[in-house]
Amino acid sequence: MFRLPFSFIFTGIAGFIVFHLLSLGTMAGWIGDVPRGPDGWFRVHLLVLGWATMTAMGAVYQLISVVLQGKIYSERLGFAHYAFFLIGLLGLLAGFRYGQVAWIAGFASMAFLGILLFVWNLLATLIRASQWNPITVSVLCSLVYLTATGLFGMAMGLNFAFGGLSAWHERLFGAHIWFGTIGWFGLLIIGFSFKLLPMFYLAHGYPTRLQHVVLWLWNAGAVVGAAAFLCGGSLLWKGAGFLLITLASIVYNVHILQIRKTRHKKTPGAGVRWATISTGWLALLGITACILCLADPQIVFHEKTILLLAWGYLWGWVAFTILGYMSKIAPFLWWTYKYGPRVGQKKVPSMADLMNERWANASLAVIMASLLILMAGIGFDQMSVIRLGGTALSLFSLAYTALIIRVFTR
Amino acid sequence: MQSVSEEKIRELLKNVYDPELGVNIVDLGLIYDIEIKDGHVEITMTMTTPGCPMHNAIVGGVEHTLGAEEAIQSVHVEVVWNPPWTPDKMSEEAREQLGYF
Repeated sequence: MFRLPFSFIFTGIAGFIVFHLLSLGTMAGWIGDVPRGPDGWFRVHLLVLGWATMTAMGAVYQLISVVLQGKIYSERLGFAHYAFFLIGLLGLLAGFRYGQVAWIAGFASMAFLGILLFVWNLLATLIRASQWNPITVSVLCSLVYLTATGLFGMAMGLNFAFGGLSAWHERLFGAHIWFGTIGWFGLLIIGFSFKLLPMFYLAHGYPTRLQHVVLWLWNAGAVVGAAAFLCGGSLLWKGAGFLLITLASIVYNVHILQIRKTRHKKTPGAGVRWATISTGWLALLGITACILCLADPQIVFHEKTILLLAWGYLWGWVAFTILGYMSKIAPFLWWTYKYGPRVGQKKVPSMADLMNERWANASLAVIMASLLILMAGIGFDQMSVIRLGGTALSLFSLAYTALIIRVFTR
Repeated sequence: MQSVSEEKIRELLKNVYDPELGVNIVDLGLIYDIEIKDGHVEITMTMTTPGCPMHNAIVGGVEHTLGAEEAIQSVHVEVVWNPPWTPDKMSEEAREQLGYF
């Protein structure tokens, strides 16, 4: 299977490029603006749905056979999902861009329909394979949270157009973000990492008990946090959500150390190494948030702190993991398509030959440095530093994307 | 008709590489058994992990490599998961190539 994952990943790359070009168009000035406005929503949805979710869905279609040793339930359903999700997303983005609430409502519903097709396809695949372990359960839970995220998002879109849910809007907004970032991205990354990291490290004989602990803690954090938002709960409950996710991320890091300890390959490659570094960053971010929460809970839920945590989590971990794994996913996708059938007939390159490791390592290092500069700018309210960090982040992200695109020309 | 030895087949299979690890499948210890009968070759092998994404490419590589040999009439590859692959099946050369001892 090549066309289905490639369609998603190619579209995701296009979304990533457009996001950064538009960001460069404002010299990253939009980052310093109030995030909750049509322009902010447009940019965030372009990045989160147009790139991260699009790429994640493509990776799921590509890698589910690795996890289950079986095919996806229906490739045709996958293409229907692609069509609905893409058209819905484009309309939703246009709705945000031009402030058309009817477009937001209509196209959000269409994108949600695409998500439902994706969930249906994956559920049918998982049920058919019937292999329940921390990897598959994690993927299953991420699908549940994705559905909830889409449902709450669509409800907010409908509320924009027709009203009726205004009293619930803030609650839905909080739960929408929490389920999307923590539930969907978090558990999808964790679940696939349980399978992929040992493969890339060629690790064998590592204990798997902590995988269950991570799964329980992360799910508890996802549910408690979202429930706190939905019920208009106190800071205590929201803080409990943060604490559970932090504990989960610490245990997750310990499990990665267990995997690394039993590795038989010195390095898993620059991208995967940076993805694991970003997991350490995730725990550090969580611990910092918890300490702040204990010192003064009001600080953590201040708009600036939320913005910092959002950048730290979404860029520092989610985006970094996606970028890092792309250094394996893109060569694997292209190699199996172009060179897989030729093995034994002609001399073929190895997958490592398709991607320049040194450049990938350097690009990811400067992307991380740019993110830190950007976050320092937000933290100290320094617009010039925000612009510097944001512009560098976009330029180096585009450079890294060029390395990924180059894989498909080899 | 020329005959082919197990040793020759192992030599030929050293040309098939795991594209992710960059190590040939013989040194990786993926080949469990080779049976030769009247020019028909049966290979029993495994992968480093169940669901290995390179499964089809590696099996195809074995078939193409051996199929091109004049003395071989047919090739059948059976991938098994029992016993599972373990790192101690790797040769010293493979360990060295992977950069970890």
